[in-house]
Amino acid sequence: MTGAKAKRILIVDDAALVRAYYRQALESAGYSIDEALNGLEALEKVLLHSFDLLIVDVNMPQMDGMTFLRALRQKELPLSSIPVLVTSSEAGPQDMVAARAAGANYYSIKPLKQEALTELVGMLCGATA
Amino acid sequence: MNEFIEQFLLEARELIAQGTGDLLVLERSADDQSKIDSVFRAFHTLKGAAGIVEFEPMARALHAAESVLSDFRTSDELISPAIIDQCLSCLDQVTRWLDVMQATGEAPADAGPAADAIVQSFALPKGPAPNSDAALPAGDWLAELRGRRPDAWSEAQTALRYVPDADAFFKGEDPLARVEKLPDLTGVELAMREPLQAFGAINPFTCSIEITALSGADTETIKQMLSDLGNGVEVIAIDSPRRSNSASELSALARSILDAQVLLLRESEEAGLAGRIMAAGRVSMNVLRRTGLFAAASAVETALGGVLASQADAIIGIIEDALLEEPSQLSPAQAQAEQARLPLAIAARVLRVDTARIDELVNLTGELTVVKNALGHLAALAQGGLDQDAITAGLRQRHAQLDRLVGEVQRAVLRIRVLPMRQTFERFPRLVREIAAGVGKPVTFDIEGDETEADKAIVESLFEPLLHVLRNAVDHGIENPQRRAASGKPPAGAIVLRASRHLDTVIVEVADDGAGVDTARVREVAATRAIRPPEALATMGDGEIIDLIFAPGFSTATQVTGLSGRGVGMDAVRNSVERLGGRVAIESRPGQGTTIRLTLPFTVMMTRVMTIEAAGQVFGLPLDMVVETAIIPRDQIVPIGRATAFAWRDKTVPLVHLAETLGLAGEKDQSRAARVVITSFQGQFGALEVDRLGERMDVMLKPMDGLLGRLTGVSGTTLLGDGRVLIVLDVQELFS
Repeated sequence: MTGAKAKRILIVDDAALVRAYYRQALESAGYSIDEALNGLEALEKVLLHSFDLLIVDVNMPQMDGMTFLRALRQKELPLSSIPVLVTSSEAGPQDMVAARAAGANYYSIKPLKQEALTELVGMLCGATA
Repeated sequence: MNEFIEQFLLEARELIAQGTGDLLVLERSADDQSKIDSVFRAFHTLKGAAGIVEFEPMARALHAAESVLSDFRTSDELISPAIIDQCLSCLDQVTRWLDVMQATGEAPADAGPAADAIVQSFALPKGPAPNSDAALPAGDWLAELRGRRPDAWSEAQTALRYVPDADAFFKGEDPLARVEKLPDLTGVELAMREPLQAFGAINPFTCSIEITALSGADTETIKQMLSDLGNGVEVIAIDSPRRSNSASELSALARSILDAQVLLLRESEEAGLAGRIMAAGRVSMNVLRRTGLFAAASAVETALGGVLASQADAIIGIIEDALLEEPSQLSPAQAQAEQARLPLAIAARVLRVDTARIDELVNLTGELTVVKNALGHLAALAQGGLDQDAITAGLRQRHAQLDRLVGEVQRAVLRIRVLPMRQTFERFPRLVREIAAGVGKPVTFDIEGDETEADKAIVESLFEPLLHVLRNAVDHGIENPQRRAASGKPPAGAIVLRASRHLDTVIVEVADDGAGVDTARVREVAATRAIRPPEALATMGDGEIIDLIFAPGFSTATQVTGLSGRGVGMDAVRNSVERLGGRVAIESRPGQGTTIRLTLPFTVMMTRVMTIEAAGQVFGLPLDMVVETAIIPRDQIVPIGRATAFAWRDKTVPLVHLAETLGLAGEKDQSRAARVVITSFQGQFGALEVDRLGERMDVMLKPMDGLLGRLTGVSGTTLLGDGRVLIVLDVQELFS
C-alpha cells in the first residue's frame, strides 16, 4: 500500500502560521512536508525536488501564487503536471476563476479544517485511503 | 487548533506593528507604492491568521480594511489621512482582541459588534455608489452568500448574482420571476443595492434590488438560461469542498474535484496547455483510484499516453461517464459536531528565540550529561579504592570541564534573553503621533538603531521611562510652530529615538530639535518649589541647574496638559532607569534642542568581573570595561593639575590611585613601577592604580540599594564563594 507516507507536499505561503498549520495537519496524516515562502522559492524547490502536490497561496510577496502557477504549467513535462491546490482567503469569484485559468486543479478557501484538508489532499495526490 | 493561538498572538502582533509602521510612513508620503503593498499584505496575512484560529469577527473587520487598501494598490488615487486613521483604529481594535486572547486563551465571544462597527466605518466613505449599468463591482457577495446559507451552498454547483437594470420594471421585466424559474434552486436572496434612503426619497419605479441565488444545476445550464441578461448577471461554478467528513459527502468532494478537472481541461489558453492537461489527468486518476473507480482511472492513464489534443476530450469523456455511473449519494447536510474546545493555558510572556540558540543549549546539555556520567564513574572508582591522587586528578579535570560548560550555558541562556530594542521602540511611532496631535504640534519621529540588543528585562522595562521622555520632548522640548517659524526652524519638530551598543552598555537617546532647557525657568521653579535653597541655586552653573529637572517633585509644566503634567516628572524616569542599573543624563543646547541619554547595562544577569586589590581590600571591575593591565614605571607618570596621567599607545590616560580615591587608609606603594588597570567607558580611557591583580569570575551583580544606593563609584555587589561581599566598582563614576 502506498500510503500518505510516500507523498511529498510543498506548501507555498508567506504566512508562517498558515504553513505551520498545514504542516501539523498533514504531517500527522503521514505526509512529508516542505515549505516555500513565495512563488520564487517554490519554483526553485520544484526544480530541485519532486512533489506530489503543491498547496499554493495567492497573495505573496516577490512572486504571487498565480504567476508561479502559470510559470509552472509552462515548464517541461512532467514538472508542469504537478497537481496544484490553490488556497486563498478570498472567497470572491475572481480568484477562483483566475486560479483555474492559471492552471490550478482545485481552489479552496482558507482555512480548511483538518479533516477536510487531509481528505482533499488525499484525493488530489492519490494517497490510498 | 488551540496550539496555534500562541503562535497566532506572536505573529499577529508583529503584523500589527508592521502595518502600523507602514501606515505611519504612508501618512508622510502617501505615494509610497511599496508601503501600500506592504500594509495591504500585513492586513491580508492578519486576516488569514484570524481564519486559522477561527476568529471570524477579526477576519471580517480586517477584510473590510483590506478591501479598501486593495483599491489603493490598483488605482492612482492616494490613500487619505481619514483611511489611514480608520486602518489604525482597526489595528487598535485587533490589539484589544489579542489582549483578551492572551489573557483567556480564546477569541473574545463579544467581538461581533465591534467588528461590525469597523466594517461600517470602511463602508461609509467610499464615494458615490457605483453605476449599476457599469460592470459589476468586484464584491464579496459569494463569500457572504456562503456565510449566510451554508446548507444551500453545500448542495449547490452554481452561484449567481443578478443586478437588474434600474429601468427593468419599465421594460416589463420581472427579475425575481426570472431567477425563480431556474432549475434546482437551493437558495434565493433579495437585497437592496444601496443602503435604504429616507422613505420620501425612494423612487418606487426604480428597480434597485439585487438577487443572489444558489442552484444544484451546473453552471453552463444556468449561464445559457440567463445569457440574454448580459453583464447584469454573474454566474460562478462552485467547487468548494464540503466541510464535513461524513462518508456520504466524501464522494461529493470527489465529484467537486472531478468537476474542477473538467473545467481545467476546458481552459483553452495555449500557454501551459500540456501542463494543465497532464495535471488534470493526474488528479483525475488520483481521485478515481481513491474512490475505487479503478477502470476509469486506468482509462485516464491510457488517454494520457495519447496525442495531446485528444487527451483532454478523452479524459473529459471518462470523467463524465464515471460521474454518471456513480450514483449521487448526497445526503442532507449533517449537523456538525463542534469540536470540543480544549482550554489551553497561555504563557503570558512568550519569548521568540532563534532556533540556533536553542540548538546551542541542547548541545551543551548533552555535553553536561557526559560530564555528569564521568563524575558518577569517578565516584565508583573512589569507592573501589582508587588512590587519592588519581581521584583528585580526575575531579580536577571534570571540574575544568564543568567550569567551561557552565560558562557556556550561562552565555547561551543570556543570548536567549537578549532582544532587539525594536520590541519596545516599535510602539512609539504611533504614540508620538497621538501625543503630537494632542498638543497640536507637527512632529516627525525617527528611530535609529532599533536592532540594538539588550537583555529582555531591560528592553521591556524601557517602555515607561522612554514614553515619559518622549512626552516631555513633544510637550516641552518642541516649540510651538509660531516660535519655530520665528527662529527659522522647519514647522515640524524633529524627535529622534536612537539606540547603540558600547561595550557592555546600551545607550538610548531621545533627541529633539526644540529650544533646549529654559534654565531661567528651571531656576525659578526650583526656587518656588524649594528644590534647593536659594543660596545654593545662586551659585549653581547652568549644567547643574539643568540636572535639577531630575530632582523629585520638579515639573516645569505651567499647565497640566494631560500629557506630561501628571505629577511624575523626570525623577520617575531616573528612578526606573537606575532600577535597571542604568543612568540618565541630559544635554541641552540652547535654541537647538535637548538630548536625554539613558545608559543601560547590556545584561542584568551575569557580569564577568576581574578582581583587584587596593589597601588590602578586594574589589571587582566589570571585565568588559577592562582593556588591559600594565606596569607603568613611575617616571612615566606625570602630574596634570590635581591628577596624574601617563602616555599609553599615543594616548594620554588619566590615572587615579584606587585606595586614595576610595578614601582607604593604606601605605602608599613607593615601588618603581605602578600596577594599573586600563579601563574604557564610552570611548574614554582611564587607568586605576591597584596593589594586586586578582582572578576573573562571573558574578550576579546586585545593585546597591537603600542607604548604600547613594554611594558613588560602586555599581553593585555580589557574594563570593567564601561568603565575602565583593564590591564591584563603577569605573565611569570613579573618573567623574
